[in-house]
Amino acid sequence: MTSRIMLPAMSRRALLGTSAAAAALGMPAILRAQAAPVKLGILQPITGALAQDGELGRFGATTAIEEINAAGGIKSLGGAKIEMVFADARSNPEAATQEVERLQSEGVAAIVGGFASPICLAASQAAARYNLAYVVDVGVTDAIITRGLTNTFRFAPGLAIVTKTAIDNLLALNDSNGKPARTVVLVHEDGLFGAGLAKLMQTELPKNGFEILETIPHPTPSRDMSNVALRIRALKPDLVIPSSYYGEFVLLARTMQQQRIRPKGIYSVLNGAASNFRFVKEFPEAANGVMDCNHWADPRKPATAELRKKADAAGLAWAYNIPLNYSCVKLVADALERAGSKDREKVIAALASSNFAGHIMPYGETRFVNGQNQGAQPVNLQVQGNDIKVIFPVAFADAKPRFPFKA
Amino acid sequence: MKGRDDLRLLLVLLAVLAVVPAVASNLVINFLVTALIVALAAQGWNILGGIGGQISFGHAAFFGTGAYVTELLQLRLGWNAWATAPIGILAGALVGWAIGAMVFRARLRGSYFALVTLAFAEVMRILANALDFTGGASGLLLKLQPGAEAFQFTSRAVFAWIAIALVALVLLGTRHITRSRFGAQLVAVRENEDAARALGVDIVATKLRAITLSAAITAAAGVFYAQYFLYIDSQIGYGTWISVEALLASIIGGVGTVAGPVIGALALHGLGELTKGLAGQITGIDLVTFGLLLVAAIAFAPSGIVGAWRRYRGSRHRA
Repeated sequence: MTSRIMLPAMSRRALLGTSAAAAALGMPAILRAQAAPVKLGILQPITGALAQDGELGRFGATTAIEEINAAGGIKSLGGAKIEMVFADARSNPEAATQEVERLQSEGVAAIVGGFASPICLAASQAAARYNLAYVVDVGVTDAIITRGLTNTFRFAPGLAIVTKTAIDNLLALNDSNGKPARTVVLVHEDGLFGAGLAKLMQTELPKNGFEILETIPHPTPSRDMSNVALRIRALKPDLVIPSSYYGEFVLLARTMQQQRIRPKGIYSVLNGAASNFRFVKEFPEAANGVMDCNHWADPRKPATAELRKKADAAGLAWAYNIPLNYSCVKLVADALERAGSKDREKVIAALASSNFAGHIMPYGETRFVNGQNQGAQPVNLQVQGNDIKVIFPVAFADAKPRFPFKA
Repeated sequence: MKGRDDLRLLLVLLAVLAVVPAVASNLVINFLVTALIVALAAQGWNILGGIGGQISFGHAAFFGTGAYVTELLQLRLGWNAWATAPIGILAGALVGWAIGAMVFRARLRGSYFALVTLAFAEVMRILANALDFTGGASGLLLKLQPGAEAFQFTSRAVFAWIAIALVALVLLGTRHITRSRFGAQLVAVRENEDAARALGVDIVATKLRAITLSAAITAAAGVFYAQYFLYIDSQIGYGTWISVEALLASIIGGVGTVAGPVIGALALHGLGELTKGLAGQITGIDLVTFGLLLVAAIAFAPSGIVGAWRRYRGSRHRA
């Protein structure tokens, strides 16, 4: 829904801190009347099919704005506070376009969010009409950054990077554990995402010594996975690689658990469920041991733990949407800080030349080439002991991979 | 002669609407264009479903074909948008004719006809989602090239004017149909097929003409949608939303009336936006309003807003 939230004013301590710093820099002007706030558009689907993801994204963005304002706002703009203008994309690109028009009329300095690829595609294009900076939070389709739109930036990795990393990491994981897996069954939803991924696996895995026993497609939605599970039981693969959405994967994992089908590993890519705490909480036995290659926050950064604590306090299940939106908002705030202006050209230029490192993703320094953050990468996760742990790459890991997995 | 009064009223309303884009913000214009796209699709639906009595649940098949054909010709063959628009409309009409030829020859009527049209739209949605040619699940995206030569005006007001002109054109066309021989035959088919056949009306030919025309108009809405939003996927093009909105706008406005679909679409979307503005904190409140409005329309004004208006006027004249 459409709402404007003016975030809480700066706390006294933060104010004292900033004014002390400002005084040290010889800028007593900070004590005069507060600078006009900078409006930031946050676009998320909070009604419709994607509402669950949209709420998480909104929480991440809201928390980041609160923190920035508490720390003194945008200092180069005289300590201007960030004012969130929230827009509901209603889970479809048409509503998203409509909301971009509204954000434009409200005079936002930039827009963050979108979540689903179609929403990001349509909304960033609508923003491009006004030369309004648009930072994509999740949308993985590579079409987002290959259109030559100078206003669009994607902080997270796209599908090409994710699939390549997923295959590389699988090989590394298998090799470092004494090559326990040799035979594979691919299960995929028959849309573009699942089918495209399966095709890539079919060409890449045999080159690296894997044998693909069978590729099993299924439609989305599917309400029964018994046939797929029975087929897996008959084939007895070492590894099952599913690429499906939340509902279908949960169904498959549960059916496999009920029928005691235990491959050495379940390795999924950008899976809707394997990195979702709802799945882990509701079906811990089916979830344990499942691996996924997906977006995830860097578990070693202290800010990650703080944000997660806040999410827990708000009763939200931790998922990648929260840290991604949190980081994207901070990325924009950093660009505003360096631009020292709300001028659209300057904000876009500042984003394009960003080397922002104050995020909580496992990415390193930000560097945009044609709108894509070059440092962005997914990580490998595994459900272990009712928690989701990062197992790969080792530099970011907070647990060791358990592969082959024994319950 | 009440029909004429309604029409005059509506043309005045459209003329007033035509002033809006010149003064209103992009936000208002955007709302107007979206509502008018639905109005156009609903006008198409109304010719077959309202005047002809063949209730379709699958007008998405025509809307999507219009949108997909115009985008595909531009993306795959590099055609100019203006040249692709008539082809998109023709393609939609062709799909309408083809579905009609199969379904009407098989003598499917009533709920059978409704279900078959729904099935056709769903098959097309699944195909558009699965084929690489149609962009699969990631859909089709037209390149942003603001300018009149690419049918992408820099000013949103121009889009609104074109939409208003299209709606007005179809309005006059529909009025012409209701007064023509073809319109009379169509109504005869709606009221009683056996009686119409006995009077010498070629049932299949009449229905085929109606579905072809109906499909062409709804396809025009699809073409316009594609040019305005520049992005379609299988869910937008062939999804059930447009079938439902076309039907809903017609029912709420007044099934089978000339002005019904336009009034219905504007009322539906206007109320949706209004409730969203008033009760902004409750998510999905506009959808709740849609539902309540439909229940109210069916319970209290089965002949829609236009019907209720006529009844009100009639009772005043008598008094």
